[in-house]
Amino acid sequence: MNSCDKCGNPNIIIKKKQSGQKLCKDCFIKSTQNKVLKDIHKYGLLEKGDKVLLGLSGGKDSVMLLDILNSLKKRNIIDLIAVTIDEGICGYREEGIEIAARNAKKLGVEHRVVAFKEYFGMTLDDIISKNNVKEGRRNACTYCGVFRRWIFNRVARDEGATKIATGHNLDDETQSIVMNYLEGNIQNLTRIGVKSETRSNKFTVKIKPLREIPEKEIALYVVARELDVHFAGCPYASESFRAEVGSFIKEMSKEHPTIMYSTLRGFDKMKPVLKKEFSQESIVGVCENCGEPTGARLCKACTFFKDWETD
Amino acid sequence: MKIKLIIGEKEELIEISENKTVKNLLDIVDIASETVVVKKNDCIVIDEELVEDGDLIEIIQVIYGG
Ligand code: SF4
Ligand SMILES: [Zn+2]
Ligand SMILES: [Zn+2]
Repeated sequence: MNSCDKCGNPNIIIKKKQSGQKLCKDCFIKSTQNKVLKDIHKYGLLEKGDKVLLGLSGGKDSVMLLDILNSLKKRNIIDLIAVTIDEGICGYREEGIEIAARNAKKLGVEHRVVAFKEYFGMTLDDIISKNNVKEGRRNACTYCGVFRRWIFNRVARDEGATKIATGHNLDDETQSIVMNYLEGNIQNLTRIGVKSETRSNKFTVKIKPLREIPEKEIALYVVARELDVHFAGCPYASESFRAEVGSFIKEMSKEHPTIMYSTLRGFDKMKPVLKKEFSQESIVGVCENCGEPTGARLCKACTFFKDWETD
Repeated sequence: MKIKLIIGEKEELIEISENKTVKNLLDIVDIASETVVVKKNDCIVIDEELVEDGDLIEIIQVIYGG
């Protein structure tokens, strides 16, 4: 007979494949919140008095994180500002922005929307349509990621934020590990983790409180909590190598439900060694063009713009 | 037996045989159970839940892409 392992309620909403644990709706919500709060404590992600900038896309991960971080804000442990980036992805991003705004408003959390267009003069759609793959264009997510990091870092400094929190989940992290490993991109591997280590005080520390929560459980959480969430896929998502790796890991997980955890655990054990051997502790200066921190003359974002100018 | 099935905006009455689970139903409509949350009569249920005559089953697509 199926019943909740914690309270005996016969209406269970999850039977965890990795552990066999069965939980009812209330116990699942509570245990997931506790797990995230415990990880925040265990990895030292937040300190009392932090001002946290949350990247709020309106998708399930960031909406769940808003829900949990808001509980810390309500207890006056942290200050919170939600920032939604409008990359300019027509037919997709608009709804996400509305949903993000509604969530922030409902909780009384300060919310800002910042657009690629306003900082870079062009939308992601513009960037993609101007550069085609034959001429060496990278996939959309590469540009999107570089520009998004640039904006978060800039806005965090403007807002005096001490931490940038993002909704990366267990599936995302496992994908990053396997993807960079398969590509032989050891430099990138040394930067994967639950909390970024600052190389410059111009970089705000980034934290990933949902890093050990599987994507499926995040989805279940937001449905169980009846949160307002943007459940849609980005039209550019399938372009990426990440998507291929993601499907592969999900397929493997059906028969081997613990592989995402073991990939993450194994990686975290190896990371200090990787860092010691491969991390290029370059002296961090500032980008000649925009003043953002970088190890090179120009930051990545400005390098892309420079390439396009000379085309 | 008949059930009402909601997938996104789409709503339909379908005929299925007795003793089917949510998982069987997902296989019938060809949706991967890893990508959805399923509600039966407005409550979230697990894959092995039995579907009964007159049930309202809602399939919520929650995971896209990879
Ligand atoms: S899927 Fe890629 S292009 Fe779309 S929002 Fe995410 S990173 Fe940007
Ligand atoms: Zn319970
Ligand atoms: Zn720059």
